[in-house]
Amino acid sequence: MADRLSLRAVTRIFPSGDGIRAVDLDVVVGQVHALVGLNGAGKTTLLRLALGMLRPQSGEVLVEGQPLARTRTEQLAGIGHLIDAPLAYGELDVRTNLALAARLHGVARSRTAGAVGDALAELGLESLATRRARTLSLGNRQRLGLAAVLLHGPRLIVLDEPTNALDPRGVILLRESLLRRAAEGSGVLVSSHHLDEVARIADRISVLNAGRLIGTLAPGRADLERAFFDAVYADDEKRREAGDIES
Amino acid sequence: MRLPFLGVAIAVETRKAAASGTLRATMVLVGSGIAILSGAFALARSNGSGIMAAKLALLTHGSGWTGFIEIAEQITAAGVLLAFGIGMTWIVGREFLDHTVSGLFALPVPLRSIALAKLVVALLWCALVTLFTVAALAVVGLALGFGAPDGDALRALAREAALCLLTALLSVPCAWAATLSRGLLAGIGMAVALVVSAQVAVVAGMGEWWPGSAPALWAIQPEAVSAGELALVGVVPLVFGVLTVAAWSRLELDR
Repeated sequence: MADRLSLRAVTRIFPSGDGIRAVDLDVVVGQVHALVGLNGAGKTTLLRLALGMLRPQSGEVLVEGQPLARTRTEQLAGIGHLIDAPLAYGELDVRTNLALAARLHGVARSRTAGAVGDALAELGLESLATRRARTLSLGNRQRLGLAAVLLHGPRLIVLDEPTNALDPRGVILLRESLLRRAAEGSGVLVSSHHLDEVARIADRISVLNAGRLIGTLAPGRADLERAFFDAVYADDEKRREAGDIES
Repeated sequence: MRLPFLGVAIAVETRKAAASGTLRATMVLVGSGIAILSGAFALARSNGSGIMAAKLALLTHGSGWTGFIEIAEQITAAGVLLAFGIGMTWIVGREFLDHTVSGLFALPVPLRSIALAKLVVALLWCALVTLFTVAALAVVGLALGFGAPDGDALRALAREAALCLLTALLSVPCAWAATLSRGLLAGIGMAVALVVSAQVAVVAGMGEWWPGSAPALWAIQPEAVSAGELALVGVVPLVFGVLTVAAWSRLELDR
């Protein structure tokens, strides 16, 4: 079975010199792949490249073995993602926002109400179903965005800092949801700088620094934070010696 | 160009537009504003003897319903393009302003279908504004005691409706500007530029063939503009509609 998502030597450099350089990355069936890095390392840029929000200057993005630009409708209907901001319109209530997200994700009209009901329950949003999105707290707005990502049962889930603004209960709900979906065969790519949370859910952890993947971390190890900083500092030192950065 | 799930995209955009306080408020302000201002000027013209009445007498020729609608056409020509441009800009540009645009990528519904759906829904909203404006004019005209509209009055009201609808087509470039600028300001700037270009074209004596001013000149004086000159208006939404859909289909979140 093809990987849910594959990036092959993907490069995109911005005029400022920042960007992503020759990144290879796989999100396999049934696994959570976490992407960790400092602010500005290129995590969001990489996720945007994976979803077609940016086009690579070289390299290739494959979704279930198909180049992203030629991905079929049924493959696109199997993607759920949250990058930047939730797909939530302030003037619409929570239930209507989810119904529109369902339709945009290819859920048939006859199945929309059921999918919305399940998503409301999964993210603990039932009591807020009739509230306009603009009246929600930041955390509940994030929950709404996550519900919109998950309600169509995606096989590939891509999330950028998904625990942002979530309260502890929301973090647990999301963690359980992602682990359950991975166990059911979904592939999950999640960026985070919360190493504790990553350690709880990830099967693989890739470290991104200055736009390049510099290595992996073993999720089970107790000193994850130390291992992360060791990897980043070692890479910075290597780049300094090579003259890529000033000392 | 294939446009899969266009029906879904139109349904989604319609639902968003229906809930929009911005679009609702603009519709009410435009329709009632044109009707009330036209009524006030019609009263000033019939009752007054000052400078205002003299100026209005120069601008309009009829009396009763036709004079009233002629005033409405003058106001519509100047104001409605700006209002339609703002509505068109908001429908497109709000996705960038609210950062919801990222959620529209990697969907079975492609960005080009969403873009076309936005144009369709924006034009439908313009049609609703037109209906509201004509209804408001009818109400104000009756309230002013012009009596039941006769054939001439109905033709004048139909011309006012046609002016609004043709002007709606002229607002499509605002969607393109909002897309390129990833926000609202350039779209509104485009609306202002269109209004100014229409004024300049009229002053320069080229108003009949300039798409931005031809509908207004036709509505005010139908024999002054030929069918061919009026048909040029259709080029604007076609060209800028294609440009807008193409810009969305190549969209990148690179700034």
